[in-house]
Amino acid sequence: MPTTKQKNTTPQQRNYQQLQQKHEIKRPVLKNCLKAFFVGGFICVIGQAVSYFYIYFFDFTEQSVGNPTVATMVFFSMLLTGFGVYDRLGQFAGAGSAVPVTGFGNAVISAAIEHRTEGFVLGVGGNMFKLAGSVILFGVFSAFVVALIKTLLVIWGVL
Amino acid sequence: MITRYQILFACLFLLAACNHNPPVRDSQLALMKTTNPKPLVTDQNKSNDSVKEIKKDVSSFPELYDVAVIKGKKDTLVVYKVKHLYRFKMKKIEKNVNKKLEKKYPKENFTVSSDYKIFLEAIRLDEQMKSAKFSHKEAEKRLKDIVKMTDKTK
Repeated sequence: MPTTKQKNTTPQQRNYQQLQQKHEIKRPVLKNCLKAFFVGGFICVIGQAVSYFYIYFFDFTEQSVGNPTVATMVFFSMLLTGFGVYDRLGQFAGAGSAVPVTGFGNAVISAAIEHRTEGFVLGVGGNMFKLAGSVILFGVFSAFVVALIKTLLVIWGVL
Repeated sequence: MITRYQILFACLFLLAACNHNPPVRDSQLALMKTTNPKPLVTDQNKSNDSVKEIKKDVSSFPELYDVAVIKGKKDTLVVYKVKHLYRFKMKKIEKNVNKKLEKKYPKENFTVSSDYKIFLEAIRLDEQMKSAKFSHKEAEKRLKDIVKMTDKTK
């Protein structure tokens, strides 16, 4: 039975849609997931190695090592974006390279590179956080909400 | 013309020359493998029977797999690694370990930690104490520093 959307289309349009569906290349979802899983996992392995480096050679404990590790990983991805390597990795791994914290560095620097011709203040400065701004905003806001809930639970004696 | 394989072969040849198996210390791999160090007392004139008993008690927890115990003049440091699947219950495990130790050894002042850094420092202290140059006083001072470091992990 044709759906409402199909009812509004002409027979030619329906034929065209069928033809299009026939020739459309199917998205390799499983393959993409595997690529994202392995590349994302590899980035996390590097992150783990960096955190062990800080624990081993500096006075960072497991609790405090998160901050320098995140900073280092973001810095690495910023450099790789500048050299044009991270973009290729992004094309290959998709979410695997965008979801880890390195994706944040990539979002900042790629926007800065894109707008550098518009000048340092209005171009780079104004557009640098075009993509990453939402990450910072929702990150800070959700951290505030979680901290508020925890504080209330502590005051009420639940935690 | 030098081919890619020739470069690879040259690299392998040069790197293999560097492999003369220097002695590997426990602390170098303490973050990754099980070291199971002997229980220590900073004052080596004292017997370490009680420390052995403490280590045995802590090792009896099924969630833990690598335990280091160092007894100083005032503090006793107990550090352990938690099995991967139990790492969600770290706080509960720490509470249980503390409870058991305080009940069995009420006179001791325990510092319990599951932090990798503290574990690594405990292994390093163990290695330093084995060398003749490292005095009891230095060992006690280092232990105090490590105990102080545990405050940062809480």
